[in-house]
Amino acid sequence: MTRNSRVAQTIAATLTGAIGLIFLLPLVFTILVSIRPENEPVTQGSIFFGSEITLSLYQHALKIAPWGLHYLNSIIFVGGTLLVQMFTVTCAAYAFARLRFAGRNLLLVVILLQLMIPSGVLLVQNFRMINRLGLFDTHLALMLPYWGSAFGMLLLRQAFREVPIELEEAARIDGANLTQVIRHVYVVNAIPAYVAFALVSLSSHWNEFLWPFIITRSEDIRPLTVGLNKLIKTTDQGAFYGQLMAGTLIVITPLVILFLLFQRQFVESFARSGIR
Amino acid sequence: MIAIRKRMLALFMLLSLFVGAAYAQDDIVIDFYFPSATANDAEGIFQGYADRFAEENPGIRINPVFTGSYTDTRNTILTELQGGGAGPDVAVMLSIDLYSFAEEGYIAPAQAFIDSMENGEAYASDFFPALMSNGVDEDGNIWSIPFQRSTPILYYNADLLAEAGYDSPPANNAELVEIAQALTTSERHGLLVPVAGGFPIWMYQSFAIAFGRNIVDDDPTAVYFNTPEAVAAVEFLRSLGAELGVGPAGGAAWGDTPVAFLAGQAAMIYHTTGNLTRILNGADFEVGVWYLPSGPAGEDGAGYGAPTGGGNLYIFDDGSKSQAELDAIWKWVTFLSSPAIQADWGATTGYIAANASAWEAEPLASLALEHPQYLVARDQLQHAGKEFSSYATITIQGIINGTLESILTGESEDAQAAMDAAQAQIDGILADYR
Repeated sequence: MTRNSRVAQTIAATLTGAIGLIFLLPLVFTILVSIRPENEPVTQGSIFFGSEITLSLYQHALKIAPWGLHYLNSIIFVGGTLLVQMFTVTCAAYAFARLRFAGRNLLLVVILLQLMIPSGVLLVQNFRMINRLGLFDTHLALMLPYWGSAFGMLLLRQAFREVPIELEEAARIDGANLTQVIRHVYVVNAIPAYVAFALVSLSSHWNEFLWPFIITRSEDIRPLTVGLNKLIKTTDQGAFYGQLMAGTLIVITPLVILFLLFQRQFVESFARSGIR
Repeated sequence: MIAIRKRMLALFMLLSLFVGAAYAQDDIVIDFYFPSATANDAEGIFQGYADRFAEENPGIRINPVFTGSYTDTRNTILTELQGGGAGPDVAVMLSIDLYSFAEEGYIAPAQAFIDSMENGEAYASDFFPALMSNGVDEDGNIWSIPFQRSTPILYYNADLLAEAGYDSPPANNAELVEIAQALTTSERHGLLVPVAGGFPIWMYQSFAIAFGRNIVDDDPTAVYFNTPEAVAAVEFLRSLGAELGVGPAGGAAWGDTPVAFLAGQAAMIYHTTGNLTRILNGADFEVGVWYLPSGPAGEDGAGYGAPTGGGNLYIFDDGSKSQAELDAIWKWVTFLSSPAIQADWGATTGYIAANASAWEAEPLASLALEHPQYLVARDQLQHAGKEFSSYATITIQGIINGTLESILTGESEDAQAAMDAAQAQIDGILADYR
C-alpha cells in the first residue's frame, strides 16, 4: 500500500516536473538569448552562453523606452478597467440572474452575440466614438471600450443563480435594501468567480496591444506592450531578438517577483474556484 | 448639496486629469509619425532633429510619434483618418504607399510646395532620380519626398573570394554562379538570397530588372508578371537552391542572412544597403560590396539592376489646413530632406542619403572616404528601378508574394503557369482602375 502510493507519487512528481520544464523552456531560452551578444549564431562559442555573457542588451533595452512610465500606464489601464468592470458586471449579472423584465432573454442573446464579434472589426468604429468624445490619446480612451464585459457578466450571472433565493428572501425580511442584498448575499458568495474574472481581465488587458497602440500617441499614456513594440524592428535589418528578449525580461521581472511573493494566495484562489 | 457639488468637482478634476492639459501656447504643432526599421535609437535621433528644427524655427513645434513598423504605421494612420481623427501632418511611410493614400485624398502632392519655392527646381533635381520614381505619379507630379531609402546590393567576403583565386566580385549571373559554386562547402553557402519568409518580391525584382524587364513601370494600372523575363528571373532564382545547391532550397530568411554572412557561413549575400553599417562594424574579415550582378547579356538590354526601397515623407492635408500650417509642414519636410540631415541620418543608420549634395556634407563625406563601400550603394542607384507599386498595391503585392513563394519552394513546378494565373488575377483587380 505505502509502496504503491510512493510509486504513484514518484510518477506524479516526474510528470508534473516534465510538464513544468516544458513550460519553463521558453523562459530559459529568453534569458539565454538576452545575455549572449546580439545576433550571434548558435554555432559560435558555447551553445548555451555564446562567446561571452553580456548585459549590453539590457543597457540598450533600458534606454529605448521609459519603462517606469509604461509600467504605471499599464497599471492604470488594467486597474481602472477592472474596477469599473467589477461594478457594471455585478449590476448586470444581478439583473439577468434575478430580476424579471420584458425582453430579458432577447437582451441576453444580444449580449452573448457580442462575445462572438472579434474586437478588431470594431477598431475604426471604436476609434470614431472615442475621437468624438474628445478622449483620443487619454487613459480614459484606453479603458472605456472595456467597461462592460459580456464574459464577466455571464460568469457572475451563473454564480449568482447558484446562490439560494431563500438567502435573499431572508435578507429582505431582515430589512436589507437592494444594494445590501447584492453586497452581503451575492457578492460574498461569488468571490471565486470574481477572482477568476479578475485574473482573466487583468491578464488579457495587460497583454493587449492593438487598441492601446491605435488610440494613444504620447508616451505618457502608452502601456508596456506599446513600449515593447519599439524593440521589434524587423523591416530593414532583420530581427534583433536579443534586444527584444532583454526588453521582455525587463517587463516581466516585476510580475514574476510579485507572483513569487503572493504565490500561495494565487494558487489558493484558483483552487477554491475550482472546487466549486 | 454642497457635498454633492464637491464630489462632482472632484470627479471633474479627475476626468480632466485623464483628458490632459490643452496646449497653452499658440505654436504651430506638427504631428510627425515615423516607423522604425533600424537598430538605432530612432526616437532619440528624431527628437534631436525636432529640437534643432524648433531652435531654427521659433513658433513651430514638432511632435515626433513612434508608430511601430511600416505596416503598423500605415494601419494606425488609416484607422485614425477613417475614424475621423486628425491624423499626422507629416509621416514617413513606404514609398510604395503612394496610391493607397492618394486615392483616398488623404495626402497632398509635394509638387505644389516645390513650385512655390524660389529654388524648387534645384531642390527637386538634387534627389537621385531612382529614388524619386516611386514618389511621382503617371503625370510627373511629385507626391512624396525620399527620406530613408535603401536598395539591395551584393555583399561578399573578400577574404574567401581571394583564397579561391577571385580578386574581383562577380559582374554577371554566370560569374555569380561560378563563384558561388566554388565557395560552397558543407559548412558554408556560396550565396544567400533572402527570399524566404513571405516577402520575396523585393529581392525578386532585382532579378527581373537584371533579366531585362521590371514588373512595373510608370503606369499604376499595369503589372508585367508573366513576361519571359519575369519567368526566367524566378527560374534562375529557384535554380540557385534547388539545382545548383549554392544556398538552401527555397531561399534564406531575411533576418538570418546577414547573421550567417558575419559568421562566415555564407560567402556572398544579397541584402539591403540598410545593413551596411552593421555588417561593416560586425565583420572580422574584409567586406566587399558591389552592384548586383547583371543578367544575361542580350539585345533586350539586360544589365545591372535593383529596385529601390524604404520610406518617403508624406504630407497629410485634406484641404482643411491653413497656409501657415502648410508652410510649417513644408519647412519640416525640407529640413528632413536637406543635405545636412540626410548626411547625418545616412551616416547613422546606413540608409542611402537621398540627395547628391548630402554626399559632400559631413559626417557622410568622411565616412564614405573611410569606407568606399558606401559609394557603391550610391552609384548603383543609376541602374536602379522602381519598387513594385500600383493601385491596390497591398493586395497585388500579396498575390505576387504568394506566387513567388510557391514557385521558389517547389510547390508550383510550372512557373509560367503559376505566373499566368497570377497575372490574370491581377489584371482583374486593375481593370477597375483603367
